[in-house]
Amino acid sequence: MGYRQDATELGDARRRVEALVSGMPGESAPFEQPWELRAFAMAVAAYHAGQYEWSEFQLSLIDSIKRWEAGDGGEPWSYYEHWLTALETVLAGNGALSDADLDDATKAVLATPPNKGHHEAHREPVAVDPAR
Amino acid sequence: MTVHIRTQEEIAARVKALEALMIEKGIMTTAAIDRLAEIYENEVGPQLGAAVVAKAWTDPEFKARLVANATAACAEMGIGGLQGEDMVAVENTDTVHNVITCTLCSCYPWPVLGLPPNWYKGPEYRARIVREPRKVLREDFGFDVPDSVEVRVWDSSSEMRYWVIPVRPAGTEGLDEKALAALVTRDSMIGTGAPKAP
Repeated sequence: MGYRQDATELGDARRRVEALVSGMPGESAPFEQPWELRAFAMAVAAYHAGQYEWSEFQLSLIDSIKRWEAGDGGEPWSYYEHWLTALETVLAGNGALSDADLDDATKAVLATPPNKGHHEAHREPVAVDPAR
Repeated sequence: MTVHIRTQEEIAARVKALEALMIEKGIMTTAAIDRLAEIYENEVGPQLGAAVVAKAWTDPEFKARLVANATAACAEMGIGGLQGEDMVAVENTDTVHNVITCTLCSCYPWPVLGLPPNWYKGPEYRARIVREPRKVLREDFGFDVPDSVEVRVWDSSSEMRYWVIPVRPAGTEGLDEKALAALVTRDSMIGTGAPKAP
């Protein structure tokens, strides 16, 4: 890509940008949670894979935000939740995703936390490569 | 109807599950998602727009091309991509100050500015900048636009994405493009701030 730069220039540019954005009103980082960046990248990846037109995704995003704006304000504002809703909606709309499958897969993820078993002391070496 | 407010843990699990399903169906790969995440988190950013502005400040012919067709002029510098297809660069002058928003969602010229900050995407900025731009600029951004200067607010959509060419700061006559680019802030290209002084 044309805008790729060498590592040093990129590092300099990043430091410069970080210097620019510090001291802004409120926080300014585009992503607050790791899942937000993941959801963002997935929507772009699905678009590049030809799953939908970018404009379809945008309309879906506008819809989700409009519904929030018309609501009673019970739900806190979360931009990337709207992003995720939009992604699920367009993928479901073209048959790439079933809501029931996603619900089941989500339950499975929640039932298997990444640190499962970590509260137990492991008192023996986890692997031994014996002396020869 | 009661609203179920999802916890961060539940949402994170849903995103993880969605990724697993998409990979299983062969729609995308982990490597592709990783690469896109890296590009948008670290590589695409306002330093690219700053380079374009600095070139426009030093090269009047380039500036004319940029104002006439921002997407084509940026492509000359190898800058372009998703959300940069129909960009319009609006030029600030001594009598006009421009500021951008997206009243419907968060349309933003990614290739030159990177991803928008949270306040740009939030409902408050999107509503207030249209109703009372001068007041928002002054109160939220500490940026005073003199009464003698007209403020124009531009609404980006999926069809057309705006960004701002700020006025070149005084006292920068001897600076080269690289030094000038260091003065161009993200907010000066949104219209909620001025470039830095040399």
